[in-house]
Amino acid sequence: MSAPSRIGEVMALDRLVHEPARLLILAVLANAKEVEFGFLEQVSGLSKGNLSSHMSKLEAGGLIEVKKSFRGKRPLTELRITAAGRKALADYRQSLAMVMQELPVPGAAVKRK
Amino acid sequence: MAGETQERLGELESLTRDYARYSRSAGGLASVLGGICCLLSYLLGGLLPMTPTLRVVLVALPLVWLLARWGMARRYYQRFGHVEEQESAVERRTHRLGLGVTLAVAVLLTASALSNGAQLSPGSAGYLALLWLLALAVWRWLRSPLDFVVGAFLFCQASLLCVDRVYPVIGTAAAQDALLMALLALLFPLAALLLIARGVADHRRFLQLRERLLRLRDAAVGGT
Repeated sequence: MSAPSRIGEVMALDRLVHEPARLLILAVLANAKEVEFGFLEQVSGLSKGNLSSHMSKLEAGGLIEVKKSFRGKRPLTELRITAAGRKALADYRQSLAMVMQELPVPGAAVKRK
Repeated sequence: MAGETQERLGELESLTRDYARYSRSAGGLASVLGGICCLLSYLLGGLLPMTPTLRVVLVALPLVWLLARWGMARRYYQRFGHVEEQESAVERRTHRLGLGVTLAVAVLLTASALSNGAQLSPGSAGYLALLWLLALAVWRWLRSPLDFVVGAFLFCQASLLCVDRVYPVIGTAAAQDALLMALLALLFPLAALLLIARGVADHRRFLQLRERLLRLRDAAVGGT
């Protein structure tokens, strides 16, 4: 495959999903029906503000749903992935796998020299 | 780099799936408690002379178990935040089947009790109320087959106690009059033993899971 088409494939990766923090959020949500904000905060290591910002972007893109309520006096935020989110994650993985397959192995290039 | 990311994502995905099990299908120590409640209800109900105190204790057992199960899931097994498990198509079908059977039995017995025209005695009303509570418990909590069998026994034993009856235990005089029922009832202590074994295995798995979670959290905190 030519270099420009490889670049094209890389550029075609969904930017909304490609960002590591958002990819992590989607990967967690894809494996549960509903996830509380606190769990994501613990496993991602992101700050509340950072996590909220990524959540808002994913919500605006229609990839996740965010439900806000109260448990007693404590605010409760629950997230779930949408069908569009599942599809975007699956498509992203497929595209990434294709890109990775096409990339030259650095060690192999050195040997040819 | 991409390999590392994939590896971390894979670990996170498996961790989320394992952790989510404790919201629904894995009871851990609550399953052990359920199994013990089932054995107690079966043996004490069938072997001891019924006293008012024993009757209250046995009727309360299913409610105590469900309450403990809910509390342990919230406060212990899911203390890192609630994560609801995804149901597979097979699990959903099995659950619907169990719920359908329970509802059908509750409707039939209620219709039969009301069709007699006579006023319901307090015992019969309690019997029917517990059957409908069982349907509610099956819908909300008793999702795995073992949970269903043990929960159904606890509620059925409690409802029978309301009308002065219990499941007969093999070897007792009551079992001689209802041998088939006594043989069928043997299923319940067996299910209880299986549930206890599963609960212990789930609890051990949780302890490993907790270590993984703590390591991940520490690594995340260290990395930020």
